[in-house]
Amino acid sequence: MGDKSTPLLAVLQLLRKYNLKGTEDILRKEANLGDVEYENLDLPEVELASILTAHHTESDPYSYEFAYDSLKKFVESSLDIYKYELSTLLYPVFVHMYLILILYDHTEHASKFLDKFGPEQEEYYQEDLNRLCAVKNKDQVKGNELAEIYSSNKFQVQLSRDASTQLKRYLHEQKSSPIIINIIKNHIVIDVCDGPGRTQAQVKSTLGGLLGEASRNENRTKVYYGLLKEPDLQILPAPIEDEEEAEETPDKPKKKKAKKDNIFMKKPKSDPNAPPNDRIPLPDLKENDKIEKSKALREAAKRVQLGPECLPSICFYTLMNSGQTAICADICDDSTLLAVGFNNSSIKVWTLTTIRLRGMKSADKLQDIDREAGDVLVRMMEEKDRDTCRTLFGHSGPVYKVAFDPFKTMLLSCSEDSTIRLWSLQCWTCIVVYRGHVWPVWDARWSPHGHYFASGGHDRIARLWATDHHHPLRIFAGHLSDVDCIQFHPNSNYIATGSSDRTVRLWDCLTGSQVRIMTGHKSTPFTLAFSACGRWLASGGGTGEIQVWDLSSGLPTAAIPPANDSPIHALAFSRDGTILASGSLDSTVKLWDFAVISDESLNEENGNGATAQKEDKFLLRSYATKNSPIKSLHFTRRNLLLAVGSYEGSL
Amino acid sequence: MSDSELGYGSSFTVDSVKVIAESVGIGNLVDDAAKELADDVSYRLKIIVQDAMKFMQHSKRQKLSITDIDHALKVQNIEPQYGFIQPDTLPFRFASGGGRELHFIEEKDIDLSEILSAPPPKIPLDISLRAHWLSVDGVQPTVPENPPPLSKEAQKLESVDPITKLSKPANKDSAGKPVCGKAARLKASESVHVKQLATHELSVEQQLYYKEITEACVGSDEGRRAEALQSLACDPGLHEMLPRMCTFISEGVKVNVVQNNLALLIYLMRMVKAMLDNQSLYLEKYLHELIPSVSTCIVARQLCMRPEVDNHWALRDFAARLMAQICKTFNTSTNNLQTRVTRLFSKALQCPSQTNNESGPSMVPSMKESEKTPLASLYGAVQGLAELGAEVVKVFILPRVRWLGERVEGALSGIGGADRLAAGNLKHQLLKVLAPVVRAHRQPPDLPEDYKREYGYLGPSLQQMVSKLRSSPSSGSGGGAVAVVTCTPPLLPSPSPAPSPALPTLVSSSPSPVSIQHTSHTHSKTIESVANRNVVITSSAPQSPAPSTPPPQKFVIVSSQQKNQTQPASSAGHIVMHSSQPTIVRSQNSVVVTSGPAGVAPPQKVVVVGVPPPTHQLHQTHQQHQQHQQHQQHQPTAGGVSQAPVSVVAKPVFARGGATPQPPPELDDLSHLA
Repeated sequence: MGDKSTPLLAVLQLLRKYNLKGTEDILRKEANLGDVEYENLDLPEVELASILTAHHTESDPYSYEFAYDSLKKFVESSLDIYKYELSTLLYPVFVHMYLILILYDHTEHASKFLDKFGPEQEEYYQEDLNRLCAVKNKDQVKGNELAEIYSSNKFQVQLSRDASTQLKRYLHEQKSSPIIINIIKNHIVIDVCDGPGRTQAQVKSTLGGLLGEASRNENRTKVYYGLLKEPDLQILPAPIEDEEEAEETPDKPKKKKAKKDNIFMKKPKSDPNAPPNDRIPLPDLKENDKIEKSKALREAAKRVQLGPECLPSICFYTLMNSGQTAICADICDDSTLLAVGFNNSSIKVWTLTTIRLRGMKSADKLQDIDREAGDVLVRMMEEKDRDTCRTLFGHSGPVYKVAFDPFKTMLLSCSEDSTIRLWSLQCWTCIVVYRGHVWPVWDARWSPHGHYFASGGHDRIARLWATDHHHPLRIFAGHLSDVDCIQFHPNSNYIATGSSDRTVRLWDCLTGSQVRIMTGHKSTPFTLAFSACGRWLASGGGTGEIQVWDLSSGLPTAAIPPANDSPIHALAFSRDGTILASGSLDSTVKLWDFAVISDESLNEENGNGATAQKEDKFLLRSYATKNSPIKSLHFTRRNLLLAVGSYEGSL
Repeated sequence: MSDSELGYGSSFTVDSVKVIAESVGIGNLVDDAAKELADDVSYRLKIIVQDAMKFMQHSKRQKLSITDIDHALKVQNIEPQYGFIQPDTLPFRFASGGGRELHFIEEKDIDLSEILSAPPPKIPLDISLRAHWLSVDGVQPTVPENPPPLSKEAQKLESVDPITKLSKPANKDSAGKPVCGKAARLKASESVHVKQLATHELSVEQQLYYKEITEACVGSDEGRRAEALQSLACDPGLHEMLPRMCTFISEGVKVNVVQNNLALLIYLMRMVKAMLDNQSLYLEKYLHELIPSVSTCIVARQLCMRPEVDNHWALRDFAARLMAQICKTFNTSTNNLQTRVTRLFSKALQCPSQTNNESGPSMVPSMKESEKTPLASLYGAVQGLAELGAEVVKVFILPRVRWLGERVEGALSGIGGADRLAAGNLKHQLLKVLAPVVRAHRQPPDLPEDYKREYGYLGPSLQQMVSKLRSSPSSGSGGGAVAVVTCTPPLLPSPSPAPSPALPTLVSSSPSPVSIQHTSHTHSKTIESVANRNVVITSSAPQSPAPSTPPPQKFVIVSSQQKNQTQPASSAGHIVMHSSQPTIVRSQNSVVVTSGPAGVAPPQKVVVVGVPPPTHQLHQTHQQHQQHQQHQQHQPTAGGVSQAPVSVVAKPVFARGGATPQPPPELDDLSHLA
């Protein structure tokens, strides 16, 4: 039967769907369709729609080119206030025209169409077009990841009311060739909002997602981006304030005595944006953790105040002889340990101080220890000093992320072998293997309060885990492509994920729902970092761009254009939140003035001018290393910047 | 295939598929099938590569590796291709023939037994961690772990176009000093202003460093000197101190030439060498100071207190190599460095007239004057020219060999030990330099009479050398394919402080002028390029009739880029290149433009050239030195006779005869002589 029957089959399927038995039988008889074809009616819904809508233009592949040209002319000739908004329509229309041409076997025309109009699409879509152009016949459409994303989802376009009126008028004039009308009806969601049309810069700042912009309604939910109250650590000799307070007034002498009832203290100080402390059940602090925490706070009091006048010192740890085998690195919160994950499935942990890495005593020796002793934790460790470096084996694929838990007792790692492993830093063995992801796990991060961790991978799903469950607590599904990076909010209530669909999303750990979807990234984000105050989220992209998002609105507040095409794989905020450090594969560490960036965002409304100048304004310094791409960045509690890179030989 | 021309993606061509089919034994694949296959395979490969890209990105690499492909296959539930490991990229080879074009990967047969018998490969070094300061309070320290603050390219750009530095805002990008902290930091340090486009400020640390380095370099402690030179040769970030260093060297040479302090001159030249070897420095801006200093050390009349004993020849050789290195590194079509240096040396060699031109009547008057060019200077000039390559030797030394021979003969037969030693060295050097050139130049048979007739006094010895060369097996082929021996000695990071009086490396010299020839081949190109330009030689009488100044003629070799002058100028160039008796426009008076008086009949076109400033300065300094010397030094008198045997003993130490392929003598070995 060949191609001719496809529309017929589609009609039959439609009839069956609406349960129009009689008509279906008549049509079947008339078309002389065999049972075999009839039984195999399994056209996907979207394909069905496109077949039916485009049916009568099927015979004329030239009309597509013509229609696209006419739409382009309409956009170009419209007034400037509508032009930029309307121009966002061009790309989805273009893509779907290409796919329809392919679906109807007009392969030649499809390639010609792509060649003619492809180069004029926005630069950030070119990568997609390059992937899409591999699709050359309709069988491939079905199996292709990108083509399926396009055909099974609707592209989001935001138009102001006036612009949409203009569009409607235009479409009305085009009644005779309904190609564009059909595409817009079937594949594009137009989000009409009141208010004036946006400027070119405004439009551009949120464009770039695989499926267009986020609709405004999606970002309405309130996000508690404030920080949690620090629990009172009564055992401390020196009373400690709320960490957030400490940041704002680090020089203020700590006068307040620790009080027995926290309620009185909490009320006057509580941040209106902070979630209640018990919104997410957090683990109780163990004795040891409390000591660790108090140490951290004491260190924080000695922190250097950074700013454009006072830049941090950077200590660079170079991995020698590693070639290109080192993948990821992490430095624990108190900056005493460094873990590196390798291509060959191994993990190495180095000590960065003179304290050597010790193992725990063997089981029978442990039995002899008096458990009630005050120094039981010291006693259970081996007496003699061990190495400065230990290796952990267990994974069976490249280790893509290693992460120390906040209390330095455990290490988390995720790998290509689709597992996440939890390692004890006392026994130096693997304790738990978390299975759940089906494909490689790209990223895993601890909650800042420990106990919870999150992971995301090639299966397009982010998961929330607790160390004591071997099943995920929450599954965050919604990304259209790989979840490439993940990060916990400082208050542990939210998780941010970045994906190859060029969106960054924020998920609520309590409800498991998506609360923010942020578009505007022009390339895949590979790393995320929350600012110390919890309001801003920075993400570094595959082509070297950095975006800063405001979580309260979900809008991009600053975009730092890439200096070159090298991806950024490391971002870190200084502990006082004034400096953003980025590390890129082009072997440079750059320091950005975050005070200026966040200021900028507050008077963003004035329109953002030339971005090139902005970059100059934000950039404080750039430090080149000797051909050592940066794998990780970490600010110590005293605001010393530690960077890790692997030396890849002289050029 | 039309597809392959598309801007978006490309695909296998039908031809490729057919070739692949043939390689697996399917002979006649029909076009349609091949097309179908090509499309499908292209699609699948693209999908795999797109997936592999993800693995590459997450491995934080920018280069796709084979493991990435394996992981991508695994993700698609396809068995990975085991056993393909390739550390580097596989180059595609291209072949065409029979109307077909083919790209393929070369697959070599591997002999298993060879692999089995080979020693096991080295165990890779364990991964280790190393910490350094990338920045201290916002300033990137210039330690070896950090890249040099100003790249060589940037220095080059700056020296070519200084405006860029001024127009650039206080840049944050090059990791030099911070924008804000700089002023505060520098308040503590004394700032030095030099009359230049931009002010140069040295921090306290830099000033200390400068002091330490210069003291160590000219001090008496050999170990410290070695360290200092090592630091000069390797440390990044010295570019800010370069003006100071160069001034130090040039002033040092000026003073020490006058005082005949050979040791210090050697130390200063070693500093130059170290700076030239530093990969992060670009010295072009400072050549106007360095070249006069180096050339002084080559051709100066006297470099040491006792010319009959001290080995100042080594300094001349070393400086000549330095000069060749400078020429090789910095010669461009705009600065014409090599041309100017060549001119400088050839001027020193300039005989009053062409003595091998038998019928030169005009030689007589100026003969006396030029005879006073000291033999040591002649030696230096010969050495300097020799380092520049065979073509230079052929054009500038060979025509004067007769005259030089006469000088040598005269000195050898005369009294005065120093002169005899100098003449002996000069003769040796001339023979060594000329023999390979003559060998390439002349056809056998080599008859002593011919040589005698053509080359005068040196003829017979030259003939012996040449025939020895011809008979030596290693010289069978042309110099071109011989192993690399550059004219600059290899980097000497830690000159051995142990001063062994006899140079063992030199004594075991094998007769291999091949090395020289090779060097000359590397240089012949540049010479040709000089020759291709329009070279006009004029001469003029000396401006200052100081009796001890170099010979009165001044060669001015000029390149003029103007096309319209090609005709006359190229003819002049032709003369220079091919005539063994260069016709030179001579003038007795100081006017440059006019053609010569009697001798040369047709007034040739002469391009008048203003001598560019650096050269001018060079002349001046040179003359200055010479004049100084004139005051200080009296010609070696008969007092030196008694020391003649000593000098003869010293001569084999030098062993100049053999043109060793080994690196030339290290100067520190000789420093004890001074």
